[in-house]
Amino acid sequence: MNTSLAWRNVWRNKMRSLLIMASMAIGLFAGIFVLALYEGMLRARVRTVIDTEVAHLQIHHPKFKDDYDPAMILPDQEQVMRSLDQLKSINHIAYRSIAQGMLATATGSAGVQINGILTEQENLVSQLDKKIRDGKGLMVNKKNAIVVGRKLADKMKLKVGSKLVLTFTDKESNITSGAFRVVGIYKTNNTPLDERNVFVNKAVLNSYLNLGEASHEVAIILHNDEDVQTVKQRLQQQLPTYAVESWKENSPETDLMVSTINQYSSIIIIIIMLALAFGIINTMLMSVLERSREIGMLTALGMNRVRVFVLILSETVLLTVVGVPLGLLSSWLVVNYLSAAGIDISSFSGAAMSGFGFSSIIYPRFPITQLPEVMLIVIGTALIASLFPSLKAIKLQPADALRQ
Amino acid sequence: MKTVIDAHTVSKTFNPNTIPVHAINNVHLHMEQGEFSALVGPSGSGKTTLLNLIGGLDKPDTGNIIIHGIDITKLSPNELIDFRLHNIGFVFQSFNLIPVLTAKENVELIMQLQNRKRADIEKRILSLFKQIGLEDKIDTRPSQLSGGQQQRVAVARALASKPQLVLADEPTANLDSKSAANLLDIMAKLNQEENITFIFSTHDVRVIERARRVITLVDGQIHSDTARVETEPQTTDLATAK
Ligand SMILES: Nc1ncnc2c1ncn2[C@@H]1O[C@H](COP(=O)(O)OP(=O)(O)O)[C@@H](O)[C@H]1O
Ligand SMILES: [Mg+2]
Repeated sequence: MNTSLAWRNVWRNKMRSLLIMASMAIGLFAGIFVLALYEGMLRARVRTVIDTEVAHLQIHHPKFKDDYDPAMILPDQEQVMRSLDQLKSINHIAYRSIAQGMLATATGSAGVQINGILTEQENLVSQLDKKIRDGKGLMVNKKNAIVVGRKLADKMKLKVGSKLVLTFTDKESNITSGAFRVVGIYKTNNTPLDERNVFVNKAVLNSYLNLGEASHEVAIILHNDEDVQTVKQRLQQQLPTYAVESWKENSPETDLMVSTINQYSSIIIIIIMLALAFGIINTMLMSVLERSREIGMLTALGMNRVRVFVLILSETVLLTVVGVPLGLLSSWLVVNYLSAAGIDISSFSGAAMSGFGFSSIIYPRFPITQLPEVMLIVIGTALIASLFPSLKAIKLQPADALRQ
Repeated sequence: MKTVIDAHTVSKTFNPNTIPVHAINNVHLHMEQGEFSALVGPSGSGKTTLLNLIGGLDKPDTGNIIIHGIDITKLSPNELIDFRLHNIGFVFQSFNLIPVLTAKENVELIMQLQNRKRADIEKRILSLFKQIGLEDKIDTRPSQLSGGQQQRVAVARALASKPQLVLADEPTANLDSKSAANLLDIMAKLNQEENITFIFSTHDVRVIERARRVITLVDGQIHSDTARVETEPQTTDLATAK
């Protein structure tokens, strides 16, 4: 009877009940949508960072990253290769040599990181071939071929075929320079990286640096993201004198972004829930005050406080029971549609997004893992919010309420 | 005869700290089971206040009110609610029924609050609706009933819990004279058949005539308390009007 009375009370003011159900649904929808958006952005970003920028793991001479001294090569490349061979969770490996230097043309100069790479390895580890927009890339077996980023090319007015000069120090700290010809221009979503990194064949760079077959860096792609930590530990055990770093260490800004965005999404959810709570308190309080005479009468007739409390509480619960599935369903439908279609935000923030390494098309993902949490928060908010009107209802004095 | 009401030196003052209103002033009242009494007096004389005090909706400032052996001035708020559920039936002037419940459900609600057995409830409802003559309106919502029919349902609800005492505060104030007479007939019949004590407040002389005892309040004090001689059968002009 109590539930049926509550249910009928809910439909006394249809407009108001629909409004509150809609606001619950919208609250849930908004919460899930924000999470889906962030989840989509983060996953895409992390994917890009791993697949095209820093791989899952990198191995260096422990001092290499201090000031990129070309002398800090991997001390025993054979040993590294043997260790890597044993690990089944490794998918692809790329060896690189790296030099910091100056790129100069007739019009100007810019500081760059020169990456000496092995094309086949690099295509698998950082998908360099897929990033090429103009020209053929380093597959052209020309000596002194170089691939530069779009951003740098624009700044330095470089085209495919343009000549440029790279100046850097070799292993013995002698200044050396070489003339190169642009054979490809690449572009990623991460403009700062595009501006900074240029690619040449490893053999060419090594001959300038006087390095022979040596490398500064090994980049490793695993089969599974989840294995990063365990493989890192294994490698560190086998190669105790090397620095083994995961993508989180090599791209700390991405790691920071993940945690910052998680914080933002909690803040946004809290704000949405506060709005929802005030909506419920306001509506249910109004509904209680409107019926104060009737509630007073029920108390007069002998309905005890617990029952009155439960009655008002169940009215909110019923609203929630309708509102929450509505919000869940609508957000699931919308997010699922958009996860395939994507949301193109380039028209309002594309440039800003790629400045941070984000794609301008977001593919939201339904936050399945956070779903129970979000639902609990919404239902909890609704229940807590409905405590106030319920408390108000049991405070009504029957004699006063009836006199009104 | 069992005593149902035994009230001593009952006083109630509203707003004692600002502009005090001595709504009930040193009232004594004694009532036996089965009485059918009218509480009369001008507006503001304290009728509602006295009924609220007897019904345990309000607490007196002084005095004791003993209903069926229980001093209700000593009960906690929760005990009072439970006391009302089992001992008092109320009929109010207006807006008496829950609009979203049918006539039957309105009556049922009280018995469900008492945790009565389903079969008991069904039986009691059938007999009550027969007694109030609304068997055909059992599943009708209050908004579809006339004012008089609504008050009859309210009387059925007041009796549903088999209370010691039914308190009706101006039950006919919003009714035309035909409906008022009809309601009084039903109340009188239930009073006889179920031996339940009734007190109803009223200004209406034609209603007063139906009471067997008339208590007159003036300025919160009992001005007169007279038993009326039973001139049965009661065929007032009201009753003939129906
Ligand atoms: N809650 C209250 N606060 C202040 N004054 C009240 C309150 N209830 C009743 N009164 C006053 O007490 C007096 C008696 O009121 P009431 O019992 O309603 O009279 P009646 O029912 O006979 O018209 C009136 O003067 C009324 O204004
Ligand atoms: Mg009154």
